[in-house]
Order: sequence, then C-alpha cells, then structure tokens
Amino acid sequence: MSALGSAAEIGKRIVVRKTAALSLAYLVAVALAAAFATTVGFDPLSQNLARMLEGPSRDYLFGTDELGRDILARVVYGARTSLITAAGAVTLAASVGVPMGLVAGFFGGWRDAVLMRIVDLKLALPSILLALALIAVLGRSQVAALTAVGLTGVPTFARVARAQVLSLRRRDFVTAVEAFGASSPYLMFRTILPNSWSPILTQMVVLSSVAILLEASLAFLGVGIPPPTPSWGEMLRTGKEYLYESPTYAILPGLMLTLTILSFDTLGRALSAVLEGREDAPVRRGAGPA
Amino acid sequence: MIGYVARRLMQLLPVLLTASALIFGMMYAVPGGPVGVLVGENATPEQIEKVTKEFGLDRPVLVQYADWLGRAMTGDLGHSLHSREPVAKLIGERLPATIQLALTATVIGLLLGVPLAVASALTQGSWFDRGLSGWSALALGVPTFWVGILLILLFAVQLRLLPAASGYVPFWDSPWQMLRNTILPASTLGLYVSGIFARFLRGSLIAELNADYVRTARSKGLVESAIVVRHVMRNALLPFVTIVGIMLAGFIGGAVVTEAVFTYPGMGRLVIQAIGSRDYPLIQGCILVILVGYMLINLAVDVLYVYIDPRIDYG
Repeated sequence: MSALGSAAEIGKRIVVRKTAALSLAYLVAVALAAAFATTVGFDPLSQNLARMLEGPSRDYLFGTDELGRDILARVVYGARTSLITAAGAVTLAASVGVPMGLVAGFFGGWRDAVLMRIVDLKLALPSILLALALIAVLGRSQVAALTAVGLTGVPTFARVARAQVLSLRRRDFVTAVEAFGASSPYLMFRTILPNSWSPILTQMVVLSSVAILLEASLAFLGVGIPPPTPSWGEMLRTGKEYLYESPTYAILPGLMLTLTILSFDTLGRALSAVLEGREDAPVRRGAGPA
Repeated sequence: MIGYVARRLMQLLPVLLTASALIFGMMYAVPGGPVGVLVGENATPEQIEKVTKEFGLDRPVLVQYADWLGRAMTGDLGHSLHSREPVAKLIGERLPATIQLALTATVIGLLLGVPLAVASALTQGSWFDRGLSGWSALALGVPTFWVGILLILLFAVQLRLLPAASGYVPFWDSPWQMLRNTILPASTLGLYVSGIFARFLRGSLIAELNADYVRTARSKGLVESAIVVRHVMRNALLPFVTIVGIMLAGFIGGAVVTEAVFTYPGMGRLVIQAIGSRDYPLIQGCILVILVGYMLINLAVDVLYVYIDPRIDYG
C-alpha cells in the first residue's frame, strides 16, 4: 500500500470513532480560527477603557477584560499562541529525544545508563518544576517558554525510541541490512526509525496536550510568554484577579483550553488504538502539572 | 528488611548527587548569577567584588558545590539571598502545609476513585463503565487551575460558603478551620488524581478478575462479593499502591499551580517565589527537599509491599 493510501486508511479508521472525529473537527476549527483571526477582523489589543470588565453583550460576545479588550478576540489569538508553542515544543522534544533514545538503545552501555538516569530524574521532578527552573535560567520570553516545555518532553521521546530499538534490533530485516555492511547511523536512522513512526507519532499527539497544559500553567503562574501576547493561561491568571467583578472572565479561556487539551488527548488515544492496537493509552504518569 | 532499606538508601545517593550537581551547575551558568541578585542592578564594581568575596563566590564552582554539599549533609542549606533567613527554616515552615494538603487530596482522590473503579470493573462494558472512562479522561484533561477557579466561583463567589484564598491551619489546631481552608484546593487535586486512580485500579482489577484463581473460587461456590473483597482486591492493590505513592510524592513539589490558585502557603509557592526572585540557595534547597521527599515516599511504598504481599521478600 502506498504511504498516501495507508494514511487515508488510518484517517478513516480514526474518524469512525465518534469522539475522535469530534476532537479532530474541533481542533481543525480552532486552528482555522487562529490562522484567519486577522482576516476576520479580530483585534486582541485595542482597548476600550470606558467598557472595562463587562459581561457578555451584543458588542462583546464574551465580555471585556480589565483594559476593555475583547475577550473573544483574545481567546482566538490565544489559540495561536497555544498551538504554535505546542507544535514547536513537541517538534523540539522529538528531534532531541528520538536520536537520544536511538543511540542509547542501539549502543547500550554507558550511553544507555546516562539516558536512563535522566529519565529517572524526570520521573522524580514534576515537569512544571523543571520548566520553571529552565525559565529561571533562560529568562521570560516566547522562545524560553517553548524551549522549557519542549525540553521536559525529551525523556518521553527518548524512552519511546529506545523501546523501539530494543524491540526491532534483533529482527530479521535489521540483521539483513546489517549483514550487507550498513553503518550504525544507517541502521538507526534509515532502517529502525522508519519502522518506528507509529508510536512516535502517537506520542507527538499525546504530548501536544501536555505541552498546551504546561504552557498555560506557566502563563498562569506569570512566567509564560510575556504580555501583551494573548494566551489562555495568562487570561485565566488575570481573570482570577477579577472573579468578584467579572465572574464570566475566566470561563471562556478555560473552556477553550480544556477542550483543546481533551481533543489532543482523545485523538492521541485513538491513534494509539488504530496504529498500535492498544485500546488504553498509557496514563501520562504525573505529566500534567497539578 | 533493615538491610534492604539501608541498601535502597545507598542507591538514592548517586541520583541525589547527579540531580543536585545539575541544579547547581544550571543556576551558576546564568549570566549575573547570585552576585547580581545580591547587589542589585546599579552596583559599583567595588560592591560586586566585595560581595563576591564575602559569599565565597570567587572560588571555583566545584569547590562551591562541594562546600554546599558538605553543609547540606548536616542539614544546613545556606541562607536565602533575600530574607537572609536559613533556607532550612523557610522550608520547614512550608513543608507541613504541603504535606497536609497532599494527604487530604490523596484521601479525596481515593474516596472518589476506588468506588468508581470497583463499580466499573464489575460492570465492564456497561454505560456506567463507559461513563467512567469519560470521567477519568475529563479529570486528567481539565487543567487544575481552571477547576480551582470554577470551584472558587461556585463556593466562594456565588454561595459564599468557603474562603477564596486558603490559609494553612494545622489539623490539630482546629479540624473545622483546617477543613474549611483545605477542602477547595484538596478537592481540586483530588478530582485530578481520582481519574488516574480509577483508571489504574480498574485496569488491574479486570486483569485479576480474569485470573485462574478467580475461576477456581467461583467454581467452588464462593460468593462474588467475597471473591472481590478477599481475593481480587488484595492482588489488584499491589500495583495500585505504587500509583498512589507516585501521586502523593508528586504533590510534595508538584502542586505548584493549585497552590497558586488558592494562594496556599506550601512548598510550591515557595519554589515559585524563589525562582521568581532568583534566590539560588532557596531554589536548590527546595528542589533537594522535593527530590528526597519523592524518593523516601517511593521507598516507603516498596516497604509497604511486604505487608500487602507476603510473597515478596526483599531479604
């Protein structure tokens, strides 16, 4: 079957799952809204100080924030922040973690020992603390948030890639390529890696939800992407300050954030079921910041 | 047993050494570093030199690390750069608050998660079972800070039943006040872990229910409830205890976000404060304490195994 054909086939098998189809539709809608926010005329920055902290109205569907900015517009732009950070962070995590895991699993020995100690450490330290410490070192910026979130995901990809190497290393097709005199890098990156894409892809989708949650948590703690860039976490942070004045402030950003996280999670689980035949995706061991 | 515990404690040392060295190295790699924090932005070169000498920051990093490590062994974690108070004292003030919150949250998580898991494992495939898997996805996916905000909106803003900001009241001082102050943050965390607990326990219960010994028990005519309570539960609990331990340990340092929502004075807020003000000795001390706490709880779980499962003998 051609690569395109099999992709379509996988797509079909995912879409027949109702919750997965719904999640995919939601994510596509959010991505489109984020991409065309400017074209549609949303303005997340213009202030209307005469109308601060208003509830929902005809002019402002979801009310206004403490500077009289349109909450709906800011939520739509917040989607952009969230999705870009998640995509960047997951790409970073995979491109650092996968080679690490391949090398550790392939050569074993001290390389493997070092990697496993790092994985241990990651299990002992909550991701949020790791990300906070990284931001303390890097300073507060969009790049810092993306890097911090991405680096906390590295051990996960390293572990997945390592497990793949260990299970494929002694398979006949790998031994055959090796017998032809292929170099170690060739075996790792051209023989084993192309046969490992399904768990890696699944992990990328699942980790997107973790990345979005982590970015929002950092923003909520006031160390995420600096203002005035709209972000859901930052909106929840300020919304929390005005709970008594404007109870509706924190509702919409929180709802969008939650739905996005749940959608990525559902999609990841559907992918894992379709690609790997595992109905119950592994619980993200304490990965979510509490 | 004592030999086993001693050996496990010895194994902790390399992990702690690596971790503390990494953290130490990372903090000192920052431009400006601790001196910058101590003297402020507009310091003269003379001031910088004086402070650098005074705090021994002109020595090689390795020497400083060895010095810090030596003191840490004796319980001296240095002084906060800001308040100038001993780090050990600052942590000592916050640790009880965090432990109390972590325990309450775990209890709430168990009270919600265990009955749900048992009920859904016994009714596999039913609407209730499917509902539960939706519930655990929800409990895991909804950010705790949003749950916290919604709880505050409902119980503090609308109903005016509970305080929006939670203080630390020791249980022994006033159980009622403690409950009033802890129930919202603990429920926020408890809801979150209940999803994890339920999903895990359901999985291991189902695995046990399909085991041969259950068939034997059924065929010799044992009542289903006796099979579940006396046989299946005991076996399913073993892997479950690990998860409870991991989550409890995670709360020691990982309840950062929830503590921030409720302005609860625990370790999480201390860490944030320390990172925000670049208070290096405080950051190192906090992370060290969190790591040690995590490892000790995991050790305690392994020791507990022996009592739950007599087949295990660590020798």
